[in-house]
Amino acid sequence: MTSMPGRRGFLPIRTNTFDRVFISVVLFVAIHLLWMRFLEPALPLWIATALSVALGALIVRKG
Amino acid sequence: MRSSTTGWLLLAPTIAVLVLTGVLPFLYVLAISFFDWNLFAVNPEPRWAAANNFRRLVHDAEFLKSIWLTLLFTLWVVASQVILGFALARLMMRDFPFKKVFRAVHTLPLMIAPIAVGATWRLMTVPGLGPIPYYLKDWFGIDYRLSMFPDQAFASVVVMDIWHWTPFVTLTILAGLSNLPQEPVEQARIDGAQEWQIFRDIVLPAMKPVLLTTIFIRIMDALRVVDEVWMLTQGGPGAETRFIGLHIWKIVFPKTDYGYGSAMSLLTLYMTIVICWLLYAAMTARKDRAS
Repeated sequence: MTSMPGRRGFLPIRTNTFDRVFISVVLFVAIHLLWMRFLEPALPLWIATALSVALGALIVRKG
Repeated sequence: MRSSTTGWLLLAPTIAVLVLTGVLPFLYVLAISFFDWNLFAVNPEPRWAAANNFRRLVHDAEFLKSIWLTLLFTLWVVASQVILGFALARLMMRDFPFKKVFRAVHTLPLMIAPIAVGATWRLMTVPGLGPIPYYLKDWFGIDYRLSMFPDQAFASVVVMDIWHWTPFVTLTILAGLSNLPQEPVEQARIDGAQEWQIFRDIVLPAMKPVLLTTIFIRIMDALRVVDEVWMLTQGGPGAETRFIGLHIWKIVFPKTDYGYGSAMSLLTLYMTIVICWLLYAAMTARKDRAS
């Protein structure tokens, strides 16, 4: 990660595009699992998907 | 352009093997995790289940408990192995009588298959037959029964894994220590640094890549432990040593619940990647701040 050219965004580490996509996927999975565990009885799962996609896009662009 | 083509041609066999043995099975498991597929069900054909297997997973108390036990096990064994391995590697950097014999004997557990390690420890821990229960009772008055006391079963599994894998950590760290440049250490000694300061400020930072690699390998191994534990405790008493690997095995093979088992396997893979990545990111972030 450090040997590759990267940049500094709002994430606490220097990242390249692959890192940011990876972080987005990790968060996508985590948000969906936690949503299914705690929030799904009250809020449908597609909200988690929308939130994750938005967060992923934000991380890839500004992270 | 030409050298690039040659490079790709040379890489092609490796990529083909990786795709065949890694990527395709992963995609297959990923696909199955979205199906309800149980050979013992009324309808044994795979049926589309969307995210139901994952939904079932996050509410499955037994599986969540197995995750917790596995994380606890991983923390205990990796921390113990790294501390012990480092101490032993430092010891082996010095000269002492019968060093070669000690090194050979110390490395022996590494050469034993995990299933044989489990069987050996099983024999050593059977009450009325093995030496461990006998001496624990004789010397400390401890009633040692693996099949009755969860804490004893868990501790035994941890000790067995430490015994089996510490030599690997020792050898890896020993290789790293042998390649460390001696000049900074000698300079620090001339400047009057204490041994502890040399260790903390020179040896430990220089050993960080080796330590990180060793910790990654051990974390990955510990998270997928199955055979040793199966031979020693069979996941018992109850489900007190049923780690993720054993739990998945029980779901996939005796119960033939392939869809649910695939979802569990994927979550385990996800957990392994996230843990290793967090560890790596934490160390990289520290380096970033320092520079």
